[in-house]
Amino acid sequence: MTPNPLALIAEITHRCPLHCVYCSNPLQMVAKQAELATEEWVRVFQEASRMGVLHLHLTGGEPAARSDLEELIAGARQAGLYTNLITSGLGIPESRLPKLVDAGLDHIQLSFQDSQEGPAQWIAGAKGHAYKIVLAEKIRQLPLAFTVNLVVHRQNLDHIEEMIDFIEQLGPGRIEVANAQYYGWALKNREHLLPTPEQLDNCMRAVEAAQARLAGKTRIDCVVPDYYARYPKACMGGWGRQIVLIDPAGRALPCHAAGVIPGIQFDSVRDHSLQHIWQESAAFNMFRGDEWMPEPCQSCDRKAQDFGGCRCQAFLVTGNAAATDPVCSLSPDHHLIEIARASAASEAAQPTWLYRANVG
Amino acid sequence: MAAAGRIPGGVVALAAPLPNSQPRFAAGCRWATHAEKPVVLYPEGMIRIQGTGQNVLELCDGQRTVQQIVEVLAEKYGAADPARIMEDVGSFLEALQKKRIVDY
Repeated sequence: MTPNPLALIAEITHRCPLHCVYCSNPLQMVAKQAELATEEWVRVFQEASRMGVLHLHLTGGEPAARSDLEELIAGARQAGLYTNLITSGLGIPESRLPKLVDAGLDHIQLSFQDSQEGPAQWIAGAKGHAYKIVLAEKIRQLPLAFTVNLVVHRQNLDHIEEMIDFIEQLGPGRIEVANAQYYGWALKNREHLLPTPEQLDNCMRAVEAAQARLAGKTRIDCVVPDYYARYPKACMGGWGRQIVLIDPAGRALPCHAAGVIPGIQFDSVRDHSLQHIWQESAAFNMFRGDEWMPEPCQSCDRKAQDFGGCRCQAFLVTGNAAATDPVCSLSPDHHLIEIARASAASEAAQPTWLYRANVG
Repeated sequence: MAAAGRIPGGVVALAAPLPNSQPRFAAGCRWATHAEKPVVLYPEGMIRIQGTGQNVLELCDGQRTVQQIVEVLAEKYGAADPARIMEDVGSFLEALQKKRIVDY
């Protein structure tokens, strides 16, 4: 029997006012009419809590696009979950913020695209930077944990120090410097998002300097792009090992991107209990254990550490979801990653972005 | 907020709490139960805190000073040396402050 998950990621809607070029949501999004209703989500939160889930991450799209967000937070809190809202801030008028806190919100994670209005708008394909600053000031005065998430990539990493200083001024308890990951929509823009090795080195130096300077005041976490790693990451702590994600229509997935893998049927919480899906479904069992693993994973010492890496990345880059994650230096497909890195290292022209197309 | 550990500019210095510090949970941290054991939930994680640590943290209500917390514990544990308790409580709270679970 597989231990139950500790965290539930609830993608409560795919609707979003932004059009970020690095959006990690799938290409095929769920429309409003197909979204789970309030009572369905609350039932799922109760099921998750009974299974031992501790943390709930409400995300999207923009979760504030749901008019019942307050009810969802209250339902989650009543179920005993620690509730985190991952938001762009747009769709949360100042007057709505205290209502979210009153409903029982524990933690808010506010995303920024840059330190400057112009570049932020260029990446997000929409206005909103100035309002995020206003909202951050309000959040800081409220009794809940506050994280600022900064998404970094080739186009903004040259002023990483300035961006960290800017975010420090917003006064969060935690900063997440997240390199864009190349799933979903972001893969379309990968050649303009993938940093150079020099940018990445400089980013790590800037983060370490800020960590030392802000120790005890602000925690700084950094997500690096695994294209530059020697070995793959244990994606989501391994397929179906620690985390369950539910998409707006109720499909349960091991991660944000797994829906892209063809030939897997992901069951819905409309048809089955979450416990049943987690333990019994073919989808969640597909890449558990090591029987599915090819060489070089099968005989590798690291297979219990990284579980063969990311299944979605394996599919997106090699076309085979059961292949060794190509970011691994031991993968027979590793040259595909080297090619992508080489193109980042060469001087690229001004990007022509493909902005995220959204659902209504 | 207690003045202890603060230096101008609002930067919290990394230092053990003073006897008059008033420790409390940092914003967004709270108790919960997991597998029938007490845990503290914080953004992105949880930590199991039992036994003496639980006793200390339950006394951190933002009102009691570290001195008062040590007095309560000294009484509870009878023979223990208060100076030793002060030292242990100080390093325990300092470690939790580094994790952004406790403020003082």
